[in-house]
Amino acid sequence: MDMTGTQVLPLPRERVWDALNDPEMLKRCIPGCESVERTDSDAWKMVMVAAVGPVKAKFTGTLTVSDPDPPNSYTLAFEGSGGVAGFGKGHARVQLLPETAADGSVQTRLDYEAHAAVGGKIAQVGARLIDGVAKKLADGFFTRFHAALTEPVPPAA
Amino acid sequence: MYAFEHLRATDPADAVAKFSQADDARYLAGGQTLLAAMKLRLAAPACLIDLQRIAALRGIAADTAALTVGAMATHAEVAASPVVCDTIPALAKLAAGIGDPMVRNVGTLGGSVANDDPAADYPAAVLALDAAVHTDRRVIAADAFFTGLYETALAPGELITAVRFPIPQQAAYVKFPNPASRYALVGVFVARHAAGVRVAVTGAGASGVFRVPAFEAALAARFAPDAIDGLGVDPAALASDLHASAEYRAHLVGVIARRAVAAALA
Repeated sequence: MDMTGTQVLPLPRERVWDALNDPEMLKRCIPGCESVERTDSDAWKMVMVAAVGPVKAKFTGTLTVSDPDPPNSYTLAFEGSGGVAGFGKGHARVQLLPETAADGSVQTRLDYEAHAAVGGKIAQVGARLIDGVAKKLADGFFTRFHAALTEPVPPAA
Repeated sequence: MYAFEHLRATDPADAVAKFSQADDARYLAGGQTLLAAMKLRLAAPACLIDLQRIAALRGIAADTAALTVGAMATHAEVAASPVVCDTIPALAKLAAGIGDPMVRNVGTLGGSVANDDPAADYPAAVLALDAAVHTDRRVIAADAFFTGLYETALAPGELITAVRFPIPQQAAYVKFPNPASRYALVGVFVARHAAGVRVAVTGAGASGVFRVPAFEAALAARFAPDAIDGLGVDPAALASDLHASAEYRAHLVGVIARRAVAAALA
């Protein structure tokens, strides 16, 4: 399964980069995410519940960042297991490009290119749905990510 | 199968109460999707609230304006119902074409609509017929009900009690089934109402069932198969999988829609 997409965020690249590397932010934005913790400078451990229609499976996985080039780009390798339900693995290339909005303000274009493979029972019975579900998860993530980045910052206590 | 709690509800209020008291519960209607997922260990709810014995959720009745089908009516009951055949024969034909005899004898209207599988047949009927989904707490219009892949406007624990289908002037459902599963690779429900024409497509959308406004406008002006010649749907919004590409599905939507219009006129 291959997926590409582009998102435009009304913030400078450094802010977007920081958010993408913030476990709390990732936990808030990844649909069904229960926990994200950093296990190494470039590795993360994540637990998420994938609930789609009749299926509900808990996945435990690892994310590993390779060739990070702040605040321009990085590659994310991921691998997860949902027990008897199946497993998935893949990688995503993320690039951040500075842009100027129509009103002159600074914005960031996020391009991603992902490749993933799914195996086990989920793949056997859910093959017709994998692309749709992947797209739904990506859309869900970016909708929340955009909202979280653009929400007003609460005044410091 | 692993251990889980099984509770039988006696009426809709009892089912909703049991759901709210249980932790990690699911309603069990016909179980033709849920039980298969549980056997495969793809779902493991702690508690199933069985709706089979709730008489209030069964029954099929019609008045001059609409046909009301209870949520627990099976596909076989809808297919064989003289009331459905008299008022909306397209709906009886749709029900007769779902899955296989086992699915039709046990699977239910409410279960199918609540599950909102992107290739299920009933969502196309609900959307094209501008049906109203009645639940234990409110009435939801079809246009607001289906919100995405397996997603509906139902709140957690909200129970569908019946679906009320306005009786159209003419209607037909035609599907191009996957030969193995009988799920719709593309299914099109066309309904001509006094207020206009509605066209709903299932099986093809990346986010589930959808309407085709361009077809509807053309068919409202002239209700004939060739009225939609030259019109199409954008493959970018369609599903692509091992069975068919998005482009193939886009082509089929036009072909099947024309067949559905012809069938509605027949």
